[in-house]
Amino acid sequence: MNADTTRPRGSLWRRLAGPQNRTLWFWVFVGPFALGLIAFTYVPLGWSVYLSFFDAHNTVSPTDFVGFGNYTSMLRNDAFTDSLWTFVVFTAFIVPTTYLLSLSLALMVNRVRRAQAFFRSVFFLPAACSYVVAALIWKMSIFNGVRFGLANTVLGWFGADQTAWLSTTDPPWYWLVIVTVRLWLQAGFYMILFLAGLQRISPTLYEAAAVDGARPGWQVLRHITLPQLRATSVAVVLLLVINAFQAFDEFYNLLSDSRGYPPYARPPLVYLYYTALGQGQNLGLGSAGAVLLALIIAVVTIGQARWFGLGRKED
Amino acid sequence: MTISRRALLASGAALGLLTACGSNTGRDGGGSGGSGPKLAQWYHQYGEAGTEEAVKRYADAYDKADVSVQWRPGNYDEQTAAALLTKSGPDVFEVNGPTLDQIQGGQVLDLTDLFDGVKDDFNPVVLAPKTHEGRIWAVPQVVDMQLLYYRKSLLADAGRKPPATLEELVDTARELTTKKVKGLFLGNDGGAGALGGTPLYAAGLRLVTDDGKAGFDDPAAARALAHLRELYEDKSLLLGAPSDWSDPSAFVQGLTAMQWSGLWALPAVEKALGDDFGVAAFPAAAPGARPAVPVGAFGAAVSARTAHKRAAKDFVKWLWIDRTDYQRDFALSYGFHIPARLSLAKDPEKAAPLSKGPAADAVRFSTENGYAEPLRWTPASRVAYQDALSRIIKSGANPSSELRSVLRKVSAELARVKKKSA
Amino acid sequence: MYDAWVRVGRALRVALLIALALLFLIPFYLLVRNGLASEQDITSPDWTFFPSTLHWSNITELFEDSTVPMARSLFNSAVIAVLTTAGTLLLASLAGYGLARIPYRYANHVFYAILGTMMVPAAVTFVPSFVLVSSLGWISTLRGLIVPTLFSAFACFVFRQYFLGFPRELEDAARVDGLGYWRTYWLIVVPNARPVFAAVGTIVFIGAWNSFLWPLVIGQDRDAWTVQVALASFTTSQVIRLHELFVAAAVSIVPLLVVFLFFQRWIVAGVERSGIDD
Repeated sequence: MNADTTRPRGSLWRRLAGPQNRTLWFWVFVGPFALGLIAFTYVPLGWSVYLSFFDAHNTVSPTDFVGFGNYTSMLRNDAFTDSLWTFVVFTAFIVPTTYLLSLSLALMVNRVRRAQAFFRSVFFLPAACSYVVAALIWKMSIFNGVRFGLANTVLGWFGADQTAWLSTTDPPWYWLVIVTVRLWLQAGFYMILFLAGLQRISPTLYEAAAVDGARPGWQVLRHITLPQLRATSVAVVLLLVINAFQAFDEFYNLLSDSRGYPPYARPPLVYLYYTALGQGQNLGLGSAGAVLLALIIAVVTIGQARWFGLGRKED
Repeated sequence: MTISRRALLASGAALGLLTACGSNTGRDGGGSGGSGPKLAQWYHQYGEAGTEEAVKRYADAYDKADVSVQWRPGNYDEQTAAALLTKSGPDVFEVNGPTLDQIQGGQVLDLTDLFDGVKDDFNPVVLAPKTHEGRIWAVPQVVDMQLLYYRKSLLADAGRKPPATLEELVDTARELTTKKVKGLFLGNDGGAGALGGTPLYAAGLRLVTDDGKAGFDDPAAARALAHLRELYEDKSLLLGAPSDWSDPSAFVQGLTAMQWSGLWALPAVEKALGDDFGVAAFPAAAPGARPAVPVGAFGAAVSARTAHKRAAKDFVKWLWIDRTDYQRDFALSYGFHIPARLSLAKDPEKAAPLSKGPAADAVRFSTENGYAEPLRWTPASRVAYQDALSRIIKSGANPSSELRSVLRKVSAELARVKKKSA
Repeated sequence: MYDAWVRVGRALRVALLIALALLFLIPFYLLVRNGLASEQDITSPDWTFFPSTLHWSNITELFEDSTVPMARSLFNSAVIAVLTTAGTLLLASLAGYGLARIPYRYANHVFYAILGTMMVPAAVTFVPSFVLVSSLGWISTLRGLIVPTLFSAFACFVFRQYFLGFPRELEDAARVDGLGYWRTYWLIVVPNARPVFAAVGTIVFIGAWNSFLWPLVIGQDRDAWTVQVALASFTTSQVIRLHELFVAAAVSIVPLLVVFLFFQRWIVAGVERSGIDD
């Protein structure tokens, strides 16, 4: 009797532990991280999804079930759909410009003979600044709208009028401010990724190209360097798009004031922040918007990964 | 090997520290030393020097509870809204509200009984938005108001009088604008945030009527808002100043000839400009209408999740109803606010700084032209209206059609809160 | 002829590089200029390249300002950033190694479940996370500020990619010597993976130092303020003192710049071998 019950238990244990206890060891390594992720990401995420089906004003334990009501009103809400367009415009600006700038910086820094470390540091250094600090410099000193702003001072030397960079919607100068601050903060980081990629390219490829008569410069760049950087490029574009979706800090720090946020240049996260976290605290509607946004991000990212043929290695 | 040992060491140290600090719940530090239950009291960060010390002094003087003051920088509304969902929030807190949803959601306690016998001594304009269905949900601390500051000398040079109508304001601002100095500063967003419903009230309209309908379904509303667009189009507005409308810096630094700001800015303006300035209400925006100024009050409220309901209410009563000496000190010694108690505000001795010059004008505006945003004007309505106002001013959107879409959203929002209270 | 063109091209490239470098340095210059100027210097209508007298006293004023606990918040930020970095490295590297090296039927599912969280914006889970942390009683505690931020899917991803490309021969040799997964990891893998630890560590450290919203809401006590929260207190008060704001901002990034300059060669090396980019 006793032996009969222990034997299955023993084999169950062995089955759970896996061959050579591998399953056990897997969870020893991955378990703590996975548990934390469940507790601090999946549980709140599930909670958000739950809230999105309720009329949850100023409460996290709502009782008023509304089905997909929050989703339909969010999709019909022009402020939310406008914010999605803002994101599309922002991405269309920021992804190509950051990509080109960081790639050019990497190519130039890689070829420079003297003071390479100096140049690398200068371009990389802004990555250490917070959005709070960068937004402060941009808003208060470079692009403020009065006579002692740097941009207006420089333009003033040429006789131009003061421009209120962040407040002018026609032409939309605020994009200049928003895009440059992100470029300054991020370009260095992606430059490092490209530099690492460049340094992995085998010199023999260039030698072979020289033997074949390829001229250094454009031809080599097009036929050797860029194809060799493909993996890096894919990763950079993916990261840039994910980061653009998550854009919040520079918008918030540049454009919000004590009374709220203007209706232009309002990306989805900023809009959701005011919906769910402001005094209005419409958690149901905010959660529905957040879930929609997460779904869009997932579709775009997976679509991109498919398009670039990523993840095939694993299959 | 070195790294592994270091990593282990670090993680050990981390665990040690985490447990060591575990008991710190934020209630222990900075206690007032009073006996009785511990209460956490929150304030938003006031800019004027000495305010923080003052409120700590009041808390220290209370001996029936151990009150610790928390001074919260930045995003105060968001912080309190989030904290009210939990037990770790404040017991007593200052609030620019509370909102109707906070009241209906049972997040704040009914304070009506604290007002026994003194209700009539509170400024009725600011008490109204703290009242819902006859119950009062916060004690007004001080009355704040906004108004127009102008440089007397600059207006005199241009041969102009302080504007009495919105058309005059547009003309005056245009004439005062030069290459280095702008005519008018309404905030870096062109006025959408700071002005809010003020132009509507100056046009004889209102945000919400007494029977709970939108109060600006009228062609006069679109005409009034169209004038704000003129200001922007004329390039008379200062935009993109480093500090916003609530800070008198732009006015004091001579970046603008007129500025919309708060009464709280008056001491700083007076110190910098002497008597070369005057104040005015927002000028009339329709024939026969009267000028308007927004008034409002931060109120002291009690969180419904507090563990010490009685003690928290007692403390609020002690500080904001019984101790008129502290109320006077808080209103007039640091920043510049009108006391919420009529007996204080109207007493020429106790409120001496308010009895002469521009300050006296301001007090007069607050009683004759003051309006407060109604409780039913919810944050969602405010955002819809402010977005529309911003589009009208900056992008030249058609005021009538923008207002129609605002009306739709506001009516839906008013219906929602009405249904909830029914 | 051809050589001359190459030389001109190179000179142009260097000139462009120098111009860009100067452009990238402008914000740092403004931080120092405004931070050491008087309020009048900053708001003066005539631009001065550098204030005529440098107000070093701005720095001492900043630390003596009783309304903002600058020294305390710098200390808090340092403690939080160091502990967050240590904790993240430990947890994410273990998980990354397990995912890369220990055969398990559902390893890929687990990996995708981890990777998926990268796509969820933090704002989505912000309010429930806050309520969760507060119901644990972790408001204004070091635990509340640190623990929920320790589980970085990005860090885990980088470690996994790095360990996938780690030479198997080393581990096989360890296996022959009779070491299990645990000891192989600590004795063989970690000492040979320093660049990726340095790279991820620096990125995590910067993120922890710069994070704003979470510490603002969790660190309710003034004693729990981080440097970003202290900085925000300058911008949100009704009266903005520009010189104080800029000197505070400058002070807030100095520790980071030091860490950064010190570790940056590791970062390049780490990225190069880690496959962050593939």
